[in-house]
Amino acid sequence: MTATIETFAGRRPHVQPRRVGTGAVLRWELRKLAHQWRAKAVLLAALVGPIPVVFVIHGQSRPPKDSLFGRFATENGFALALLILGFAAQWALPLLTSIVAGDIFASEDQHGTWKTVLTRSTSRGRIFWAKTLTAALFAVVTLAVLAASTIASSVLIVGRQPLTGLSGQQIAPSHALALVTASWASMLPGMLAFTCLAILISVWSRNPAAGIAAPAVIGMVMQLVGALGGVEPIRPFLLSTGFEAWHGLLTAPRFTQPILEGAVTSAGWCVVTLAIAYLTLRRRDITGG
Amino acid sequence: MRRTLISVFLAIVAVVAVGAAAFALDSGPSSITKARIERSLPATFANLYVQRAALQGRTGLTPASLHAKTMCDKGGAASPDVGAGSDWNCLMSWTDPEVPMPPEGYGKFELQVHSNGCYTAGAPSKLVGFQTITDKKGRTVNNPAYEFDGCFDPQGDNTPTGVVFPSLLTVTSTTVQPTADHKAAVQISCGTGHGGCTGTVSATAGDVPLGSTTYAVKEEQTATLTLPTALPAGATDVTFTFTSKTGVVPPKPSTIPLQG
Repeated sequence: MTATIETFAGRRPHVQPRRVGTGAVLRWELRKLAHQWRAKAVLLAALVGPIPVVFVIHGQSRPPKDSLFGRFATENGFALALLILGFAAQWALPLLTSIVAGDIFASEDQHGTWKTVLTRSTSRGRIFWAKTLTAALFAVVTLAVLAASTIASSVLIVGRQPLTGLSGQQIAPSHALALVTASWASMLPGMLAFTCLAILISVWSRNPAAGIAAPAVIGMVMQLVGALGGVEPIRPFLLSTGFEAWHGLLTAPRFTQPILEGAVTSAGWCVVTLAIAYLTLRRRDITGG
Repeated sequence: MRRTLISVFLAIVAVVAVGAAAFALDSGPSSITKARIERSLPATFANLYVQRAALQGRTGLTPASLHAKTMCDKGGAASPDVGAGSDWNCLMSWTDPEVPMPPEGYGKFELQVHSNGCYTAGAPSKLVGFQTITDKKGRTVNNPAYEFDGCFDPQGDNTPTGVVFPSLLTVTSTTVQPTADHKAAVQISCGTGHGGCTGTVSATAGDVPLGSTTYAVKEEQTATLTLPTALPAGATDVTFTFTSKTGVVPPKPSTIPLQG
């Protein structure tokens, strides 16, 4: 990390020392991210991971009927992409985004580099937003790669058969492709909310392991709580509820209200967690570094 | 490390506490309701039944022509018909010229309903067939209507559908067990339905009348009926004739052999 900073400073030796903008800090954070093996490993896993999963499920003699779309998954590519979506939402998406977001602040603690970073000419606020934006961009890219890889491998390996929707209706392949893509896209608000949560834990715990593991665990706890009966009043506030909102896209008539509500919930989580994370970082005494 | 453990612990405690608080407050109205299931299930089933018919090479059926309608009930007469659970039962009637409904006019579906508004339904195999069917080309294919998943809008129309089906009374005894004072006793069960089963049963052993008795059984309950007159010596079987006030009874008198 220190090396990157020196390179950056060294490239502009004649400029008067001034506070650099968020844009510059963002570029620098992105460069740091691009050199992290962890980030590359996540993207590689998102790209390659779905392929063996698709092969294994396609090869099953008995379809996994207890998950939604599982009963068609062995013989329908679109159903298989949706089965993997339901599975990914349980813990894979929170985990994938946390690997970067849960580490991005805590790694400065781990390497003792806060002092170095902050004595350069930029503010804590700029660093906070640059790191947050970097984590969010990474979440978007990871989701896009995972979705594209899953949909492409499912459709190529299993095929483009007409899909039976959640109202028993037949969906033509071209339309099904659009709906499956939209379903995957609907995961984005929830994934960004988990990114924000991971950032909070990363800032608060100063420990990359906690920043990575805790959001995934919290995601699973939410899933569990949401599946219980008698907790209807808190269901709308759980991030796992938004991860199930895509069901409405596959019914006839379609309903999209849960997707909007999930996006609002995710935005709420982001505002609260980022506010706490920001205040924690602002008020922190960074001298021990 | 201690900080880490504390933060993870606090986060989990927070989530569980919110859950527990909501549990203690015991919920507002659930979005999983009878009316929403009664709207979603027939629409889904009708689509899949037509798909099944098409696999078998039948034409002329459309989801609309089936006029499928259903009455759903969760966990018997006593429990409220609301919330997720695997104890939802739905009675459904539909019109297929080649597959007439049984005398009671419906088939029974068993549903597992999840808190997210999705359900898995199992159809009655005597009306819909089993897991696999033979398609028009002679191949064995999956029967789409046998077991299926569906989802409904948790904020969808919640006005009651008003669909009502009567309970079906069935005789569950396979033999008549004489009581200590030589009277004929028979066990009956009253299935899922509206209003339970009430009426009169009369019986004869050969030509000898055994009198009659009234019954009132709530839905999803069983009862043992004992006839007032003692069995004659040498009787081999007893014929029961049900006259219904509410509920559906077997259309023909049922003859049951005497035990021993």
